[in-house]
Amino acid sequence: MDNTILRTEALHAYYVLDVYGKQKILKAVNEVDLAIQEDEIYGIAGESGCGKTTLLKALAAAVEPPLRVMSGRVTYRIAGEEVDVATLTPEEKRKLRLEYIAYVPQGSMSVFNPVARIKDTYRDFIESHISAGSKTEAFDLAREHLTELGLPIKILDAYPHQLSGGMRQRVTIALATLLKPRIIIGDEPTTALDVVVQRGVVQLLKDVQRKLQNTIVLVTHDMGVHANIADRIGIMYAGKIVEEAPTDKIFGAPAHPYTQYLINSLPKFGDKTPRESVPGSPPSLANLPSGCPFHPRCPHAKDICKQEMPGFTQVEPKHRVACWLVGEGEHGKAA
Amino acid sequence: MFFRRYLIPRFIQYILVIFFGITAVFIIPRLLPNDPVMRTIGELRARGATLEPGAMDKIITDLTQMYGLEGSWFDQYIAFWQRLARGDLGVSFFQFPTPVSTLILTALPWTVGLLLTTTILAWIIGNVLGAFAGYYAGSRWSQALDGVAMVIRPMPYYIFAFALLLLFAYAVRWFPVSGGAKLGMQPGWNWAFIQSVLWHSFLPALSIAILGMAVWFQTMKLVVQSVVGESYVQYARLSGVTERKIVSRYVFRNALLPQITGLALSLGLIFSGALITEIVFSYPGLGTLLYRAIINGDYNLIMGITIFSIFAITTAVLIVDLIYPLFDPRIRYS
Repeated sequence: MDNTILRTEALHAYYVLDVYGKQKILKAVNEVDLAIQEDEIYGIAGESGCGKTTLLKALAAAVEPPLRVMSGRVTYRIAGEEVDVATLTPEEKRKLRLEYIAYVPQGSMSVFNPVARIKDTYRDFIESHISAGSKTEAFDLAREHLTELGLPIKILDAYPHQLSGGMRQRVTIALATLLKPRIIIGDEPTTALDVVVQRGVVQLLKDVQRKLQNTIVLVTHDMGVHANIADRIGIMYAGKIVEEAPTDKIFGAPAHPYTQYLINSLPKFGDKTPRESVPGSPPSLANLPSGCPFHPRCPHAKDICKQEMPGFTQVEPKHRVACWLVGEGEHGKAA
Repeated sequence: MFFRRYLIPRFIQYILVIFFGITAVFIIPRLLPNDPVMRTIGELRARGATLEPGAMDKIITDLTQMYGLEGSWFDQYIAFWQRLARGDLGVSFFQFPTPVSTLILTALPWTVGLLLTTTILAWIIGNVLGAFAGYYAGSRWSQALDGVAMVIRPMPYYIFAFALLLLFAYAVRWFPVSGGAKLGMQPGWNWAFIQSVLWHSFLPALSIAILGMAVWFQTMKLVVQSVVGESYVQYARLSGVTERKIVSRYVFRNALLPQITGLALSLGLIFSGALITEIVFSYPGLGTLLYRAIINGDYNLIMGITIFSIFAITTAVLIVDLIYPLFDPRIRYS
């Protein structure tokens, strides 16, 4: 049986900007096909400026101008039925948020309303979705919920600026699980935290997932975090997924040259030789190179790489890669 | 903690600002090259007064005493503070022998009544319009309002006051040209007088309020537009918080913070009067009083009004500082 809960089909999401009367198009998400399963932690990795956050916005059905979905679709499976998010009304989408699909932002200084106590944020979130009765009932619910997750309840009376970065991040995760959503989307939730705190945050996310048996889609550029938490990883480059495989395959047998660079650049214990990183920088999304967008940085680039975008090659049952070097001669989009 | 670490230093600062401000008020006129006593005598002569030589000396002594110009600067300075401590700002020379404090207290209700109402009204209307214009920044009406504000705002307010005067008091005689109430009317709490005051103050109030509104509108619109882009607003949206809550508890609540500071500062400025507006409409407030004092070289009166507004502004700023934590929890005094 197909367990796909979150699916994208040939998704193209572009930023259409009007720069002094001239139209400028940023191709942030380009032909992305994802089939994210129930009870899975799916990691999306890639450099800055490769379209990770834009993809998340599309997944969260939060596409707002100047971002536009040009073609393709995003579907959720709600109660056994596939629902195209483009067909939802704004109010339907609002209801789905937090109840069905919750979002975990980076717990920065300005992630919470600076003039409201944490319990007021809790109350706003609760009251927007369930009729919690009185203010005290909402606060009781918040207290119960924090205790369940093992977070100190005294933070409810604190203002956001009085919390540490790690605690703010934990609160965002706690809030995301408030209504036991089927999908949680995390946008760099461990970035800007020191590694010790990061570990705690990752552990909290894992615990939450184990308890709710739901799906987590996690975007981060930190391969270490992916290694720790993800079941499956999609590597993104210039708005495209270039390789997708279970975590051990991505780290053990990366097939795409870009993935190989990413993995090889990771430090190894006791190894003091300088790590090799990808030469050059990612291409401008407004002006993508022809063919495979990675070819200008690729040491193995061939003529065909400059002319045509490779389709996916199935290396193994759950491992696919879009590269001319792999499974030569195979054309088309074998997904 | 709050008391020792914040309140006391802040209060000392308040006292020091007043002290130096008033000291400057004492020194600056004394640095001017003209001698107020000789100037007054010159003016008396110019009016054709003939004086006996003995009477002249008497007048010079009296004037010197009246202006507090006896002895060295140091003696004058000590005497100046002594008089101030008794609440004595001296007497006005040109409305001799009315004490300066009486003149200020007579003009004060007019100015405060006019400016307090217009400032608060302009603040409320400007902010409400600005808040919605900022929230619906892309809409037609928001852009139209912005255009109107952009035209009004750079207009010098005296030109604006003159335009209103010409239009509604001269071309179409709906409102009186000048004054605070009908001439010869006795101030009092009766309907006829209040009506007359409202009628007379309408044009000056309008000129101040419309310009104030344009300023508050533009700042509020900009602040709201920037708050809408803040991560906490985006996060609340992505968590399905109802738009009503987002607008009232997230966007407007946060955008109001700088506006509250602005309101408090402009309330402090009320006490120095709306100089030119009052002059244009010959409104009997502090602004007109100050203007006449400057024209007539009435030093005691100028110093009196300046000292009064130093007190008012520093006190207003002190009060804002003390109550600001009520609005913004990030500000803590410890």
